[in-house]
Amino acid sequence: MSAMFAREHEGGEAGLDPSSLIWQDERHFRVHTRAYTDQAVFDAEMARVFSKVWVYVGHESEIPNPGDFKTAYIGTQPVIVSRAADGTVHVLVNRCVHRGAVIARETRGTVRDFTCPYHGWVFGLDGKLLAVSERNDSGGYAPDFDAPEGLHRVPKVDAYRGLIFANLDPDAVDLDTYLGRAKKTIDRKFGRSPAGRIALRGKPFVMRYQGNWKFQIENIVDAYHFLHTHKGFVALQAKYGESTGDYGAHKGGSAKAMRQIRFKGASWALRHGHAQLENSGTADPEALLNGPHRAYYEALRDIHGEEEFAFVVGRMSGTIFPNLGLIHQQIRTWRPIAPDLTEVTIYLYDLVDAPHEFNEGWMRSQERFYGPAGHGMADDVDIFARNQQGLAGSAVDWLVLERGLQTDEKLASGDIKGLPASEAPQRALWLAWKQLMARR
Amino acid sequence: MHFPTTLTRADAETLLIHEADLLDTRQLDDWLKLFADDGLYWIPLDPAEEPGQNAAIVYDDTLRREERVYHLLHVDFPAQSPPSRTLHLIGNVRVQEHAQGFLVKSNQVIYEMRTGDSAQVGIGEIQPLVTMMEHICRPTAEGMRIVRKTIMLMNHDAWLGNLTFLL
Repeated sequence: MSAMFAREHEGGEAGLDPSSLIWQDERHFRVHTRAYTDQAVFDAEMARVFSKVWVYVGHESEIPNPGDFKTAYIGTQPVIVSRAADGTVHVLVNRCVHRGAVIARETRGTVRDFTCPYHGWVFGLDGKLLAVSERNDSGGYAPDFDAPEGLHRVPKVDAYRGLIFANLDPDAVDLDTYLGRAKKTIDRKFGRSPAGRIALRGKPFVMRYQGNWKFQIENIVDAYHFLHTHKGFVALQAKYGESTGDYGAHKGGSAKAMRQIRFKGASWALRHGHAQLENSGTADPEALLNGPHRAYYEALRDIHGEEEFAFVVGRMSGTIFPNLGLIHQQIRTWRPIAPDLTEVTIYLYDLVDAPHEFNEGWMRSQERFYGPAGHGMADDVDIFARNQQGLAGSAVDWLVLERGLQTDEKLASGDIKGLPASEAPQRALWLAWKQLMARR
Repeated sequence: MHFPTTLTRADAETLLIHEADLLDTRQLDDWLKLFADDGLYWIPLDPAEEPGQNAAIVYDDTLRREERVYHLLHVDFPAQSPPSRTLHLIGNVRVQEHAQGFLVKSNQVIYEMRTGDSAQVGIGEIQPLVTMMEHICRPTAEGMRIVRKTIMLMNHDAWLGNLTFLL
């Protein structure tokens, strides 16, 4: 089989047959090594996935006022997310349309306009070309100069509950349709705020790992790995968990308790590649309503109603394909740099109007687990690099992602519901990936 | 040991070199003893913040330092399997008086690598960490104790690799 792939890939992206990279039938769901390692696959992903779907580029609170901007990426393409004078958000390719220099180098800032440092062309906050320097001087541009309109504006920009997404494809489905059931992840996570809003907090954790970007999507909704990858953390939990600030983030002082939580509820492979771990029943609403933050939980129950309240306070994590993850009290985003290099950024947030002690507890708890020195995340990214290294063993064709395949339930909506620790959430991305990659 | 009332630059260098030696030879239980009971080991994401104000790369009070050392010495986990070797180089040592006693500033470069099959990604690669450090030291009857060790990574606001060892 390997020889066949080698021939197909000789032609680069044009010679790529992505359907041959996924082995899917009643008993199998396997992904070929090359889907993670091949430069031609990576190039095709940038063209057929990241240039065709809604990509997360930032949170509205990062650019609250006109003139505020932040930099972001759509796949490997640098963009500026900018708030114009009228308050609208624009996503502009971060490249001067004259001779190509990057316009903004800071991660965030406030400007009156965007001026290219190379020849001084000036662009508005909406990207419109405002001035060409020395336009009419000797050796200048002709009176009928066909000037570019401005910085390339990403044609579709929309937001859901403060999360800003951009889409390079003018013909793409609207954001609401794209998100579908994944809106529940956002609604429930942000619904833990009595005000229904989050506030980003402090500086983000930024890490890189020498592995493919899809390892991160697979992992953030992987209930199966926790007791194995993080067995060291489980040992710490047993010894220190209550005293060093877990704050219920990872729940349970014993491996048994942590296993029980991870094997409850449902997993979802949603249309368009999103995934969810939806663990209702992992929180005891009665205990919360009679606990230390009674008024807070009563407010949430009144806002959401009894039934939804159980989901809002239960464990919930999810991905929004291709580059957003929501888990605990954090927004996680990742960007592909090369087939074997990925950057992950974690923004912690507060729940607006939740008790101060509650937000502080969650912040300290996540600090303990996440980041480059955290007791959990560092293991995940180490495993991603280990995976990529392992794939050098290319005599093995396939990675096996069919755990729980036989119990997947396909709903009329097109979403697939699986059992809690199945690999349905991992299959979500590959089902969308296969469709997108088949298009030219 | 007598109650120290002064801290010369030579004294401060001796203290920092002793600490670095404990870290580089993995005598981590002894490293814990260098700290005061209310001591803090802090690697901020933003050195302009107050300690504890927001999440940090490391924000370890006494119990969290014990947890981290226990993790390193007694628990097998992927990010330290194989474990890191470190080597500290210390320079530009300065001493100032401080409300708690003394503030020792230094520039330190820490080299780190993990041993193993050095043909593999992440193994055998030497990672240099360029830092400015501040040790706030309190004189006690048992000698100088660290009240706060702050490590300001030169790249604190850029991407970072594996930092699951002690700096």
